[in-house]
Amino acid sequence: MLKTLIEAFALISTWEVIIAMFAASVYGLVIGSLPGLSATMATALLVPVTFYLSPIAAIATIVAASSMAIFSGDIPGALLRIPGTPASAAYADEAYAMTRKGQAELALGAGVWFSAVGGIAGVLSLMILAPPLAEVALSFSTFEYFWLALLGLMCATLVARSSPVKAIAGMFLGLLVSCIGIENPGGVPRFTFGLTDLFGGIEPIPALVGVFAVAQVMRAMLTPEPPPLPRRKFGSIMAGQWKLTKKYHWQMTRGNIVGIIIGVLPGAGADMAAWVSYAMSKRFSKEPEKFGTGHVEGLVEAGASNNASIASGWVPSLLFGIPGDTIAAIAIGVLYMKGLNPGPTLFTEKASSMYAIYLMFIIANIMMIPLGIAMIRIAAYILLAPRSAIMPVIMLCCAVGSFAIGNNMFGVVTVAAFGIIGYVMEANGYPVAAMVLGIVMGTMVEQAFVTSLIKSDGSILPFFERPVAAILAAMAIGALLWPVMVWVWRKMKPAQTAAATSR
Amino acid sequence: MRLPDSVTGSFLVVLGAAAAYGGYILPPVPGQPVGPNVFPLVIGSGLALCGLAIVFGIGHSFEEEEELIPLEDGQAAAAPPPQGKLYGLRALLPPALLLFYVLAADRLGFIITAALMVYVTSTALGAKWKLALPLAALSPFAIHLIFGKLLRVPLPAGLLPTPW
Repeated sequence: MLKTLIEAFALISTWEVIIAMFAASVYGLVIGSLPGLSATMATALLVPVTFYLSPIAAIATIVAASSMAIFSGDIPGALLRIPGTPASAAYADEAYAMTRKGQAELALGAGVWFSAVGGIAGVLSLMILAPPLAEVALSFSTFEYFWLALLGLMCATLVARSSPVKAIAGMFLGLLVSCIGIENPGGVPRFTFGLTDLFGGIEPIPALVGVFAVAQVMRAMLTPEPPPLPRRKFGSIMAGQWKLTKKYHWQMTRGNIVGIIIGVLPGAGADMAAWVSYAMSKRFSKEPEKFGTGHVEGLVEAGASNNASIASGWVPSLLFGIPGDTIAAIAIGVLYMKGLNPGPTLFTEKASSMYAIYLMFIIANIMMIPLGIAMIRIAAYILLAPRSAIMPVIMLCCAVGSFAIGNNMFGVVTVAAFGIIGYVMEANGYPVAAMVLGIVMGTMVEQAFVTSLIKSDGSILPFFERPVAAILAAMAIGALLWPVMVWVWRKMKPAQTAAATSR
Repeated sequence: MRLPDSVTGSFLVVLGAAAAYGGYILPPVPGQPVGPNVFPLVIGSGLALCGLAIVFGIGHSFEEEEELIPLEDGQAAAAPPPQGKLYGLRALLPPALLLFYVLAADRLGFIITAALMVYVTSTALGAKWKLALPLAALSPFAIHLIFGKLLRVPLPAGLLPTPW
């Protein structure tokens, strides 16, 4: 244990890792603070760069950029009432109300402080949960993996803030995309339409860049420019945070725990965690009437929650290759590329790399405090950059980045195509996160499914025979039937619809 | 681009059915009951069923409450953009420019193609030429410096090779 810890320290204390982490932090802070550029997009655009870094440095950039971007989304939320990332949308109104009351320092300080605390709580959960789960996972056969993957996909559809039917359709679309290519049980070209470019299948990373970055530029074409930020002098940002921590320690802990749980659930990420925690904070508060008028309590809980979910989203990713959220979906792609194939053996064979990941998360969250304060102070200047200057550069990064993944122009075509797909889906209420999950997990689901079918000789029964498989199956089927049950229940009791939707 | 559910649903039905059929006609692995055909068959059928459910409006009741939440970036609160007949087509500009990049980059080279892309995107987003022109002149070089020089991505040189 101590030896691996020292090894892990040696892994991360190289100049490459330190510089990569610092640069990625600044990059994450800037992208996160710009309205319309989300943390997922920041991470997706980072991937081509990680190609050229060592494995640990590559993961360091993702860890640092995603953690920072989630915090820095709070800045325009508090100052402009425009959340920088969807994860800050839940409490942007509240933070803005505080700014109008002259408490911008307190709101932003709470953002940076409780984000850091939440992030560290998330890492602790990763450190505590992952090794014992890895022990359990070692005895999993393809049956368990099949149900687990299915359960993960179903979770993603359950938590989507949209119609579950559309979410399931999105998931199937993603799985269908993953069918393309010759990497299938028969090794025959499938859905390639005679195009050699499609033989290798659709790379997940260009698809993700298209869905998250190009689609965002497309939306920007039709939405008005956000207003510029009024310049202001800030007082001390960290003053009063310790008092808040003591006063709201229970809310903070609850936010951390909720964030961790939501992060572990596949497909549900930081934005969901923030919404749930903010709602919970209001529900259980002693002074719920103060919410919406500039009350810091909800900010504490939701801020602690969304950053906690970032780290805990790595738990299912590292263990099973099932992404906990869209950022982790990108991280999985990078892990595979760097030879750190997700799976329970990662924790035994590459233990020092795992400890290095924990350490990087902790360092990133500690770095967040000074860097975050600096960012808050210079945010007014960064937010001066007009959208018409940022979006073209994003476009260039999309084109070059997707080309760099395979040094192949087909990547750029993929990005463009998925930009359109993502845009149309989002506009019509189909959650893109579900599709992304389908694309990332497709090959694994098919492999587990087909191998299980071959093992069972076409019979369905062995899918339920092993105890863990049976439990997972029951959960997955329950998740599948849940929308149907709610639908039936609502038909029978129309008066109680409000209760059914408040989740 | 907001289409009625019946349109998107029907599209999914067709797509799902096509996928299921496409999977069905794939050659099986000799001597094995399951091969590459099973998964598309399952996925396609599932997709078609979902499409049907969407056409009939099942699950639609979950969507109403969501409209109030500013989903992406809170821009819903801002004033509605000016509407014209062709206004909606502007959204297709970014993918069109990416395809232009695919077609032109090898011939024109990275710098020229990228400069054109930047200029058009920037102007479409409302920038004056005072901003768009310098941006188009400088940003391709910056990106080329990072990706071409530092990360050694073989970007096409074309008509205008970079000084490094």
